[in-house]
Amino acid sequence: MESQIRKIHQQLVDQKITCTTLIQEKLAALKPNSHNTVNSLLEDFALEKAKKVDEKIKNRQEIGLLEGIPFGVKDVYMLQGTFTTASSDFLKNYKAAYTATAIQKLIDAGAIPIVKENCDSFGHGSSSENTIFGAVKNAINPALVAGGSSGGSAVNVAKQFTVFSIGGDTGGSVRQPSGYNKVYGLKPTYGRVSRFGLLAYASSTDCVGPIATSIEDIRIVLNTISGIDVKDQTTYKSDIISDENISTASEIKAIGYFKNFIENNAIDSEIKADFLAAIEKIKSKGIEVKELDFFDSETLVSTYYTLVMAETASNLSRLDGTNYGNRMEGKNLKDTYSITRSENFSEETKRRIVGGNQVLSQGFSDEIYLKAINLKNEISENFERDFQEVAIILSPVTPKCPPKIGDSLKDPLAMYLSDAYTVGFSLGQLPTLTIPQGTSTGLQISAAKTNDEILLKFANFLKEVL
Amino acid sequence: MNKIMTVDVLSSIKGAKPSETVSKLFDVIKKATNLNNDFHLKNHQKVVSIDYLRDDIVIESSENEKKIIIENFPKEKNGYLVVSKVIEE
Repeated sequence: MESQIRKIHQQLVDQKITCTTLIQEKLAALKPNSHNTVNSLLEDFALEKAKKVDEKIKNRQEIGLLEGIPFGVKDVYMLQGTFTTASSDFLKNYKAAYTATAIQKLIDAGAIPIVKENCDSFGHGSSSENTIFGAVKNAINPALVAGGSSGGSAVNVAKQFTVFSIGGDTGGSVRQPSGYNKVYGLKPTYGRVSRFGLLAYASSTDCVGPIATSIEDIRIVLNTISGIDVKDQTTYKSDIISDENISTASEIKAIGYFKNFIENNAIDSEIKADFLAAIEKIKSKGIEVKELDFFDSETLVSTYYTLVMAETASNLSRLDGTNYGNRMEGKNLKDTYSITRSENFSEETKRRIVGGNQVLSQGFSDEIYLKAINLKNEISENFERDFQEVAIILSPVTPKCPPKIGDSLKDPLAMYLSDAYTVGFSLGQLPTLTIPQGTSTGLQISAAKTNDEILLKFANFLKEVL
Repeated sequence: MNKIMTVDVLSSIKGAKPSETVSKLFDVIKKATNLNNDFHLKNHQKVVSIDYLRDDIVIESSENEKKIIIENFPKEKNGYLVVSKVIEE
């Protein structure tokens, strides 16, 4: 698909549409909430911004590429004065006091946030069913899950209710729903985009990621939100990715894939066949494809969940109802804490908090938590070795097709294992892009840390080849 | 001070118990063979350059921010923000 941002920009400049009409149309499409993607609409805010864009155009002032472009925001980002619920009972009436850096950068560039989007509560899930706003429905088949946790964002983009959306990816939460709904979704290198103002799930792998219908739109949004932020000291300086630089992939001579991802019983036979067919097409273009060794799925998933549960138990310990949130009074302070937390967290969130406190407690930390840290380091070293051999690692996004709504919540272990192909790249803090091609749930393109540019190059190449 | 705290107390969640599903994940880690168990030597954490540390200054919140913070406070009585009764053990 062509760049929607560029197309709409031209229509605005040529005065074929007004920004107000554009925003009204998008709001009207979102209002029926046909796929449970909407937590709240930012109607007044958006229309006020649109009016200003129209005035500029009327006065023949130049407008920026993102000016007037409507976008969605996963409901885990702060946007001052708007409800920021994390799709939870706990924060259902919480209003953000400030604005997340990534969202502010988009607003400063003139883009207009129109909707806070449904997701798994606090990012805890892979299906967008763990939410107080109703399970998000898949854009292609509404009987199936949207994927998660950024399910509302991926569906809004796929249905063109938003031009792009900003999701959050801790272990696959942008890439997996993008695959399930056939759109592009990027998890940038950890630290490329500031996490300030993103409700923390697991701070060591949380990433801000754009979802869009074209590679060009991903590039435009990524360039806008990247950069050092003193409010997130894991951020690093990155260069602008130019459209010229990503137009050719001739420098890519060798890529790899993890053979144990493909040669196992857990992968759906159709996804396996499609993936191997894609590999053959790439080979036919003269690119060497190497089979690589990697950790088994159980180890990857267990390492990831051990670490993120420990981190989420720590991050969510601040939610006790004292200063904000849905406080429920008990007979004293401790009782208030535990009633508030027991009544307001979902079963999945409680499972993760309890698991996290288990691994951090005396007697368990050496045996489980520190061992998982070591495994994470070994996974990173494995990647470093691989990227001396190949420029890109290609993999399916998921081993299976999206399940029916209602099935994932019954079997949390199956849900955790469904993240097998995405969590490794999160642990390695690598840039990884889902493209809506290759298999029924897409393909993941991964590269070495900070080399986000090459993902877009290879995606452009695959757009022609597959 | 060698009090054993159960997960429900640690988590401030009434009746919380370890999950069988999560225990299965932990068992995988317990059984995993690490090539090197020296956490400190193999720590890949990022180091932030001193040039990028933010200034140690107090930044005053805007009036709007203060207003929203107060609005978010769960309980108010006669103009005061009310917290739960603190106990001492």
